[in-house]
Amino acid sequence: MALPLPPGLTASEVGFLCEMEFVTVIPRQRLDGLELLGGPTQPLKPPFPTPLPLWLALLLKKQKRANISPPPWLSVEGLSHILDFETDTRTAEVFSPSQALPPPMGTRRGYEDYLDAEIVDFSPPFLPKSSTTGAQAEALPYHWLEVGHLLLTHAADDFDDAEGVRRLLRDLREVRMSKLRKGFKVLDAGAGVKLNGVGAMEIAEVRGFVGGVVDGLRKINRSREESRKEREAEDRENGLGGGSYQEDDDDMQL
Amino acid sequence: MDDDIQDILNSVSAPSIPQRTRDLQALTRAWVNERTSPELLSYPTPLIERVMERTKKQIETIEDITGTLDPRSNFTLVILQTELERFKFIVRSYLRARIAKIDARPLHYRALSQSEPTTLLSPLEQQYLQSHQALLSSHYNSSFLATFPQSLQKLDDTSGGVSMVDKPDEETAVFCRALRDAGSVEVMGETATTDVELQRGDLWLLRWSAVKDAVVRGDVELV
Repeated sequence: MALPLPPGLTASEVGFLCEMEFVTVIPRQRLDGLELLGGPTQPLKPPFPTPLPLWLALLLKKQKRANISPPPWLSVEGLSHILDFETDTRTAEVFSPSQALPPPMGTRRGYEDYLDAEIVDFSPPFLPKSSTTGAQAEALPYHWLEVGHLLLTHAADDFDDAEGVRRLLRDLREVRMSKLRKGFKVLDAGAGVKLNGVGAMEIAEVRGFVGGVVDGLRKINRSREESRKEREAEDRENGLGGGSYQEDDDDMQL
Repeated sequence: MDDDIQDILNSVSAPSIPQRTRDLQALTRAWVNERTSPELLSYPTPLIERVMERTKKQIETIEDITGTLDPRSNFTLVILQTELERFKFIVRSYLRARIAKIDARPLHYRALSQSEPTTLLSPLEQQYLQSHQALLSSHYNSSFLATFPQSLQKLDDTSGGVSMVDKPDEETAVFCRALRDAGSVEVMGETATTDVELQRGDLWLLRWSAVKDAVVRGDVELV
């Protein structure tokens, strides 16, 4: 059966991905290490904190077999700091930085390496330290909104101030969303927009709109783009690449 | 000095990540790429084979544990089964996304897979494409095409300047992340063509045609 969904991850698929983020659990019961398909898990020995994937942590939490300690950024202090950064007039144009990346795995060799497990580079949601207690306090991970929401829904009693965190998370989401909307002014037919710091769920939310605008503009501008391409190719052949000559040409066309 | 130690530590710790974990990352990436790209990407046969082999073994393990009827292992069983379902979901969604693309442009992908012996389609997908296409064209022929004039009966006519073979739109905008420094790519602006530098960790909205090669190389992933 073919998949009936349009291209682009849906919100529930992003939610599925975020459940692979690692979080730190504090076990209440012993559990031997398990040989999972995605790699072995560490044995759980109370009360030693252990990193586990979020889906497993939530499973343990629901059965009251473990507590989840929230990552440092998901706290009143961490979120207030990030919110200050987002609302500061000096940094009004940018999003708060994302979590630092681990060192690269290997160097690329050639075309046949696509998805080669030997040199596959890790990216969210598989970064080992973006939602565990070892995460940076002042940077948001790629799946911040989803992880925050899941932890607040299912493990609210593990927070010092769940209500405060929830409020800050909502503020942060609104501030960032309006920033993202303002940023759409730069959209044009060429795409080419840098979105560093934007989260997975935020992308899922705007994907349809942004994709539609960019593709629509491109279709409207197709003839102009093609004529420009031809002109540039001609210029290159004649050895007249760029320069003032080309700008004159653009003016005349407008 | 500290950097040197860090480098050594990295080179020691990197291979310790089990292959299964790396395969999960690769499989997830393949799935997300396939879900978001406008074009069909090549089929990673070794990866899928490894994953399917492990899934089969895991099912056997689960059956073994179920057979022992040990009440203590009940919870372990729940975890193993949950994870198995998650894996099955990714693989199923991945294959279905591929079939959706094949169904949308069957003639294009048939031409592609015939003209060059690539790893674009798996043998099963190849078989599906051929037989599905054969069924469709014989159905069209018997229901209405046979009554048309001879010159209008073709389904893949490319003469007369207009091709009947529908191609995916390579200029579609995609969201992508650079996994390594991937050099510069061309951006077609409204008034001029500019180059942008893709640096590790950067998130961009770009045209598929601009990043396609980097995605195939593994330097860039779609999100």
